[in-house]
Amino acid sequence: MIHLDRPETKAMVALHGWSGILLGLLLYAVVLTGTAAVFAHEIGAWSAGHVATRSAFAQPIDATLRRLTAATPPRYREAVNLFEIGDHGLGAFYHRHELNAKGVPTESGIYYQVDNAGSIQRTVAGDSDDLFGPRNDDALSAFLVDTHVRLHVPNPWGLLLTGILGLAMLVAAISGLLIHRHLFKDIFTLRRRANAVLAHRDKHSVAGTWSLPFAFVLAFTGSFFSFYGTVGVPVVAMAAFGGDVEALTKAVFGSPRTPDPRPVPTGNMDRISADAIRRTGEVPTFMAIENFGRADAQVTSYHNPTMGSLEPVALLYSGADASFIRAKPNVGAVPSAGGTLVGIMGPLHFGTFAGLLSKAIWFGLGFAICYVTYTGMRLWVVRRVGEARTFAWLERVLSVVAFGLPFALVVASAAFLVTMPLGTAVYWTTAAFLIASCAALIAGVVATSNAFLIWLLVGATGGVMVSLPLLRLVVAGGPGWSEAISTGQPIIALLDVAFSATGLWLCRDCFLSWPLVTCVTPPFFHPAKA
Amino acid sequence: MRVLLAGPGAIVVTLALLAGMPLWLPGGAAGIDNLAFPLVLAPLIWALLFFHACLDRSIARVAFVAAALLLIHAGMVAPRLLSSPVAAKAVR
Repeated sequence: MIHLDRPETKAMVALHGWSGILLGLLLYAVVLTGTAAVFAHEIGAWSAGHVATRSAFAQPIDATLRRLTAATPPRYREAVNLFEIGDHGLGAFYHRHELNAKGVPTESGIYYQVDNAGSIQRTVAGDSDDLFGPRNDDALSAFLVDTHVRLHVPNPWGLLLTGILGLAMLVAAISGLLIHRHLFKDIFTLRRRANAVLAHRDKHSVAGTWSLPFAFVLAFTGSFFSFYGTVGVPVVAMAAFGGDVEALTKAVFGSPRTPDPRPVPTGNMDRISADAIRRTGEVPTFMAIENFGRADAQVTSYHNPTMGSLEPVALLYSGADASFIRAKPNVGAVPSAGGTLVGIMGPLHFGTFAGLLSKAIWFGLGFAICYVTYTGMRLWVVRRVGEARTFAWLERVLSVVAFGLPFALVVASAAFLVTMPLGTAVYWTTAAFLIASCAALIAGVVATSNAFLIWLLVGATGGVMVSLPLLRLVVAGGPGWSEAISTGQPIIALLDVAFSATGLWLCRDCFLSWPLVTCVTPPFFHPAKA
Repeated sequence: MRVLLAGPGAIVVTLALLAGMPLWLPGGAAGIDNLAFPLVLAPLIWALLFFHACLDRSIARVAFVAAALLLIHAGMVAPRLLSSPVAAKAVR
């Protein structure tokens, strides 16, 4: 426990409140979508009805790659990135490194989208900045991730904005720790019989204290990711490499070797992927081929951290003869403290270090932070709501965002399920989110009371959630539970149950609280004023 | 004054540290520690400077620490920037 004197404690309380109230609404949006995005992969499989049983990397890809290579103009055969897309399909990006019109390093080439059976579904040519947008079958998960990463604001401003929000969260977490006079006592203090404000403050304090280390880790790693490419790399490159970002990237991520530009056919990629899976026990998340078609070609196979480890795994192979060279750190040519530090940032932020278990814990803690952000802002506003008319409106705005955002997200999910079979999901997922957000905003203006507004939004969210499994089955033509489970996708059934149960619980809560909503100060929805 | 030091001051000093630290930190086994540590620790460096500006009762000490860090790191970076090809091109 850190003991501060009275003036410093007062300053920290003010800092804690203002950091939350100034950026809390945006922070809430980023954390809520981030919490959902923890399961972005699973939501993608659920929403698009993925039933392919084998990963693209666990089945032969060599013949497909040779076919794609033959179809690719030689100028784009400098390097190849391979990754999974959709229902265990394969994304192959043949490209070359070049500078764009602004002099910024970019990758230009051809992006092939291949389905699980090896047929080319789509071929797109262009720069890496424009090629990797959402597709019809992953529009929902891409929408969630994009909202979390940059709130749909164009880069670099979107990343800078979420980076600033990360710093605000860091300030709120550290100041929250500093203002606790009795940290360990506060962790267990829930005065249920105290007045409403005190009881709500206890809940905020308990949830906040338990999730404090997690909030710190998320804020730190999140702001690292936001500022890494937008500020950090350009500044370090300017100071240490005379502004040459590519030289910095090569120094940090490259594998030093003697150049050998002799043309040599690439080795068997099936042999490489099979060996990588055998060594790590997991399919690769990404494979990169550098100097493709040359004697010095190298293939790097990237994998999630193995059980009990935080650091992702990377294996290096000779591209010419498909032989294993060595395991390498994700960052740097040999293991180092700096490389490990950068390497663990991803697993720590995304919760991918122990499969579904760590993801579930990250989801739960992310939800706790949403609760802490909302209750923190609510306590701040409710304490002042009698002072000025503005604060009453702020309370309304808070309810619109806190309950309108989940409503808009589930409406976007429903719209995705309806429009995916029509091939218009990319447009309608975003459009439905905006329409639902506008509806929540209008409800915020016309609702007779704040309690009724919350009741309405919670009920609507519950109703839409209950309908999601039905829409998936009937409208989107998704697989039934038995088919999903038999093809190794039990997550589809699990998410159906989760959406139905949560939806029913919200509807039940609304049904039970209806008489209270008609009261002036219902206890659940409307905390008593100080 | 405190607001200036905690706000723009902390950001400017963090940027100076981000640029200057690679020049004196050891490279480590892979020769990248001097690049990786400033990149990763930048948010924490900012938070340290921010909370120092908020909590230290002596505003003079806050200003002194910030100015010292800024001058040392900016002083290390400036000659490299001026002698870099990009800077040289700009000067020409």
